[in-house]
Parts: sequence; structure tokens; C-alpha cells
Amino acid sequence: MNEFSFLLLAFITYLLAMLTGFLSLFGSGSQWRKVSYFLGLGGLLLHSLSLTVRTVHSGQPPFTTMYESVSFLAWSCVLAVIIFERKFRLEKTGPYLWLVVVALMALASSPALPKAVNPLVPALQSYWLWLHVSVTLLGEAFLAVAFVASLIYLLTPEKKPGQPSQEARRQNLDQLAYRAVAVGFPLFTLGALVFGMIWASKAWGRYWGWDPKEVWSLITWLFYALYLHTRLVHGWKGKKSALIAVLGFLAALFTFFGVNYFLSGLHSYA
Amino acid sequence: MNPKGAWKFLTSVRLAIALLILIIVLATVGTFIPQEREAEFYQKNLPGISGLVLPLGLDHLYRSPLFLSLVFLFLLNLIFCSLQQIPAKFRRLKTDQEAILSASSIILEPQERSHLERWLETDLIQLTSIFRKRHYRVRVSATADGKTFLARKGWPGLFGPELVHLGLIIIIAGGLISAIFSQRISLALVEGQTEKIPGRDFSLRLDRFTTEYYPDGSVRDWKSLVSVLENDQVRLQKTIEVNHPLKYAGMSFFQMSYGHDWDRTLLELEIVWSQSRRRTVTLKVGETIHLEDGARLRALSFIPDFQVDDSGQAYSRSAEAANPAALVEMAEGDKQVFLGWVFHGHPELSRYQRRTGPELKVDLKNFSAPSFSVLEASSDPGTDLVWAGSGLLVLGLLASFYLPYREVRLKQRVGSPPVLLTYARKNRDAFHREVKTLLSLANKKDLKDKGDE
Ligand code: HEM
Repeated sequence: MNEFSFLLLAFITYLLAMLTGFLSLFGSGSQWRKVSYFLGLGGLLLHSLSLTVRTVHSGQPPFTTMYESVSFLAWSCVLAVIIFERKFRLEKTGPYLWLVVVALMALASSPALPKAVNPLVPALQSYWLWLHVSVTLLGEAFLAVAFVASLIYLLTPEKKPGQPSQEARRQNLDQLAYRAVAVGFPLFTLGALVFGMIWASKAWGRYWGWDPKEVWSLITWLFYALYLHTRLVHGWKGKKSALIAVLGFLAALFTFFGVNYFLSGLHSYA
Repeated sequence: MNPKGAWKFLTSVRLAIALLILIIVLATVGTFIPQEREAEFYQKNLPGISGLVLPLGLDHLYRSPLFLSLVFLFLLNLIFCSLQQIPAKFRRLKTDQEAILSASSIILEPQERSHLERWLETDLIQLTSIFRKRHYRVRVSATADGKTFLARKGWPGLFGPELVHLGLIIIIAGGLISAIFSQRISLALVEGQTEKIPGRDFSLRLDRFTTEYYPDGSVRDWKSLVSVLENDQVRLQKTIEVNHPLKYAGMSFFQMSYGHDWDRTLLELEIVWSQSRRRTVTLKVGETIHLEDGARLRALSFIPDFQVDDSGQAYSRSAEAANPAALVEMAEGDKQVFLGWVFHGHPELSRYQRRTGPELKVDLKNFSAPSFSVLEASSDPGTDLVWAGSGLLVLGLLASFYLPYREVRLKQRVGSPPVLLTYARKNRDAFHREVKTLLSLANKKDLKDKGDE
């Protein structure tokens, strides 16, 4: 079995986790919830094998090409889903997060992303590559949880005809998003900004240079700083906070994909 | 605005929100408008908005007065906000017993408050153990005036945000110091060359420079073995690689790239007079050598990536040897017999040549140029501040989110009903409810504290 067979098996398992997740939303779905959870664990195991085989084979960190990074981001998202499901119960957010995972897996395994191993240019040969990218993507995975919870929050009407109030649901979603930011924001700060600055100062001789990738990770980070502070001011909590959590994650996605394709700079390796 | 209003404005979270939004918008704009180009570039490529770009300084946005003043206002906001928050938080930690019993409560708001049905007499001991098991520090005191029970934990969490903000203040300060005082010099050294570092009393000598390649021909690493010289004495010898700079006397030296000194290329040329008469010579660019019969061959120049512009001028498209060509002149006596460009790997190309004899040919067989190492020397007095600030920032984030501050006060003044006061930085209602549950545990003496088993 090579990395791609494991990846495909993981993909299929995640797909099943998503389907059973959606089934659990109907009626008394607690059985399906459990099935979805264990499918997720199984998929994570298969996916870990795929990443390990790749890493051993290439002798390089598993995030030096777009394919590897997307696969690793999907893996991190699964980890975040499993941790949050265990600790806080994701409820409706769960299956939609699986949708994000499945989309990332589809992208990773699509022919649009070349699968070849490329030798590393001199600037990328550093153990900081491990620390910088893995911690950043792990942080972004938790920010993805906040993104999905906030999106559902925004789409949940305050009142539904025939039903009492949706307030309890909405508050749970708001709380879930905050908890996810509380994990994702410190990780992103450490991985993207602090480790990024340390590595840049070692490789390029300056810790900050207003390179487009640097600016966009700063923008992402500022969005989440904004998110935290809107919650301190009365009237901003709720809808506006949720909107900012959504925009923040879009900024993270643009940092991840957009900067490489639309803007040029030092970071355009992959 | 009166002073009080100005103070309130400068410490407010609303200002922070407004500034964050403005900074996000401007930073975004700066990634879509190419930075640090000539004025003509904007007039040519962005005719619609160049009238806006240049006056606002959007062509160098991140050091423009507009952006810097926003950052400066943000810094002030952070400083004033911290100046306001820190004393209040210390006051919260200090109000132990003395104030609790006094009638004029100076206990800091906001906090949740409720009245208890009855004063917990003997169960206070049990309550103490319940809270201690949950890692609270508990203090009970009784005077003639009344009794108090004080339990709290997680003081780092109380100061977490302040630590974050202080870290940020230090990082921004470090950034400003870097922007003003940092120095960078680019050094291009060939092997054996010594260069004095401007403003310093030492020199750097490149002893050996090697480029390592992958099997597919792409660069794997550049290594510069350098010596630091002080008064002609070798102080230190070290290999500088990408990602492995040399630090010396407050300066850092980085391996940036490499290049070839094409003006000193050594050429191997083959001269073909006829099928049977040919000769190979090596000479440097600029050199003339004498051949037999009074003929002379001169290498006028060398271009690594030959290209011709609109006006017919030859130039090099890049610094790489992608299309190498040498300009060669040959004369017999005072008569020029050959002048033109000869191309490596394309002996048949004669478009840019003039010659008298149709048989005469010159071929560029080989070439090699001395390579130089490009090092960058930098000194940046702001860096250490940025690292210190980053450390505080990360510690502060951990404290803010993972060491929540919790405070519980029970107090009873003689003749008034007992009061419960709780305080947490977040989730205050939930915490108040949780504490009430804990209290009810102590109330029911016979029930054991289930949570501890
Ligand atoms: C990018 C800049 C900033 C970052 C990253 C940041 C970060 C934080 C964090 C992580 C918290 C804790 C939030 C929580 O526990 O949910 C916080 C709280 C807070 N921040 Fe900021 N902050 C920034 C700028 C500012 C500014 C400019 C102000 C000025 C008004 C400010 C005022 C506050 C206040 C009042 C709190 C609440 C303190 C408390 O709960 O005790 N912040 N900040």
C-alpha cells in the first residue's frame, strides 16, 4: 500500500463520516453520531499512515508542496473535529465540518495538484519549516471549526415559526466558535507569526518584510483580534462577531491559496 | 473634547475596533497595489488610481505617514488601555479582608451578586475543603462585625490580556527601532577577497565558496567559509549557509545567493581557418593573444544570457548562463578579419558576425567565470525586543484562555443577610451558577461531594 491508497481509503472513510454525521441530525440520531465519530477516528489513522509513508519516502516535511499542505490541513481539521466532538459535542456543526474536510481531501487528491516530490530550495531546508507550517495549519484547523459554527450561527434564524426560540442553539454555536478561536488563535499566533518571524530572521536576515504572505497572515490574525474584542463591546457580540469569524477564516484561506496564485513574493515556493 | 473624554476615547475598546478595521483595510490594499515602484510605473499601469496612490503614499504603504499614524494611534490605545486596566486588576487582588467587611464596599465591579437563604455556619469548613480540592486559595476570617469567606484561583489569567497587550507594545516598539536603526549591507565576495565592514573594526574574508546541487541540477545549498579578521588577525572561521547565519559583534551575516563575475570569464575558443588548420586558445575577457603569422585575437566582452533589444544593442537578459556569447575580434596585421558574437553550443550561428574569409570560424568551446558569494550583513537592535514581546504575547494568550481567573466571596455583616459575590473574566453567569451548586453541596451535610470521587 502506498501513500495514495491510504489517502483514498481515508477519503472514503471521511465521506462516510460525513454521511453518517448528516444522518445523525434527523430524529434521535445519537447512534449515527457515534458511528460518525469512530469513522472519523479510523479515517484519521489511515490519513496519518499516508502522511507518514510520504514523509519517510521523501525525507522531507509533509508540507512542501500544495498537495502535501492541503492534505495536512485536512488531517488537522479532522483532529480538531475529533477533539471538539469529544470535549464539547459539535451538534450541527459536525457534519458541515466533515464537508470541509471532504472538500479539502477532494482537492488534495485531484490531478490539479502535482504529487511529485520536489527537492527543497536552500531557504526551505530548516527545522523551522516543521514548526512553522505544522503549528500554523493546526491553528487554522481550529479556526475552521469557528468558521463553520459562525456560518451556521448566521444562517440560524432568531425565530422560527412554530418553534419557540432558537436562542439556546444560537448561544451554543456562539460559545463553540469562541472556544475554537481560543485554541486556534494562540496556535496561529505562535506558528504563523512568532515562528514565521524567527525563521525569516534566520533565512532572510529580517524578521518582517511586508511580503504579501506575511501581510496576509497578519490580516488574518488581526481579524481574530477583532473577533475577540468585539465580544467585549455590548452590541457587537453575536452577529457581528460571527461575521468577523467567517471573514477571518476567508482571510486565512486567501493567505493559504490566494497569495501563491494571485500575488508574488518571496513565499511563492510551492 | 475635555481631558476626561479624551482619556476615555483613548482607552476605549471601540477605538481599538475602529483602528483594527482601518489597519486591516489598508494592509489589504497594500497587497494589491505593487509596492516600492517608480512613479511612472503607477501612471502607466494604474492610470485610474495613480492620482490617489501617489499623494496618499500607497506606493510605499507600510511606511507611509497614513499607515504609521494608524499604528501609532493603536500603540497609544494599547498603552492607555493597559494603564487603565493594570491598576484595577491589582486592586482586585489586594482587596483581601480589610474592605470586605466595611459598609462601603469598594469591591470592584462587575461581579455577580446574590443573597443566600442562610449563613453557612459549621459547613464553612466543608466549603473550604470543597474549594481547596478545586485548587482555589481559600481564606476565612471572622471578626466581631461579621465573617468572610474568600476563594480564588488563576491569577495569571487575570493578567493574561495585559501580558498580551504588553507583549504587543514591546513588539511594536521593537519594530519601530528596527525601522529606524537597522542596517543592511550586501557583500559580494569572490574567494580570497577581504572586505572591511563599514563602521566596524573588522573585516570578512571569503576563504572558500561552494555550491551544492541536487541530481536534477537545481541548487541544494550555498556554503561560504569565511574568516573574521581584526587587525589582520583571524578571530573566527565559520561556514555560513542559508538558514545558518554567522553572528559576530552584534552583526549577523546571511547567505543570500551567489553570482558569477562574468567580466572575468575565462574563454576557450577554437579558431578554424580551414578543415586542416585549427587551434584552441584560452584567454580572459579583455585579453589579447598573439597567434602565428602576426594574427591577434581579442575577447572584447562576454554576455551570459544573450539578447538583442529593439535598437540592435546586445544585453544580458539574466545573470544566468542561459545563452552565453562572447564578442571576439581577430586581426591580421592591421586588417580586421573577424568581428562578432560567437555562441556556446551553436557554432553555426553567424548572424552577428562580420568576416573576410568565408572559411574563417571562431567557436566558443567553453567558458568559466569566477563565482562570488552574496552575503548580507545586518545589524538590527530591534530584534531582541521583538523576541521578548513575542514571548510575553504567547504566554499571555495561554494565560488568558487556559488559566481563567475565578473569585468567590461570601460575607455576612452582623444583622444583615449573607451575600455571595462571584467574579470571572468570562462566562460570569455560568460561573455564578456553578458556585451556587458548590454551595448547595456544603448545605447538604449528609451528601458527599460527588464531584471529587
Ligand atoms: C492586535 C492587537 C490586540 C490583540 C492581539 C489583543 C489580544 C487580546 C486578548 C487575547 C484578550 C483576551 C480575550 C479573551 O480572553 O477572550 C484581550 C482582551 C482585552 N483587550 Fe486586547 N488585544 C489587542 C489590542 C487591544 C487594544 C488596542 C485594546 C485597547 C482598548 C485592547 C483592549 C482589551 C481589553 C479591555 C480586554 C479585556 C480585558 C479583560 O478581559 O480583562 N486590546 N486582548
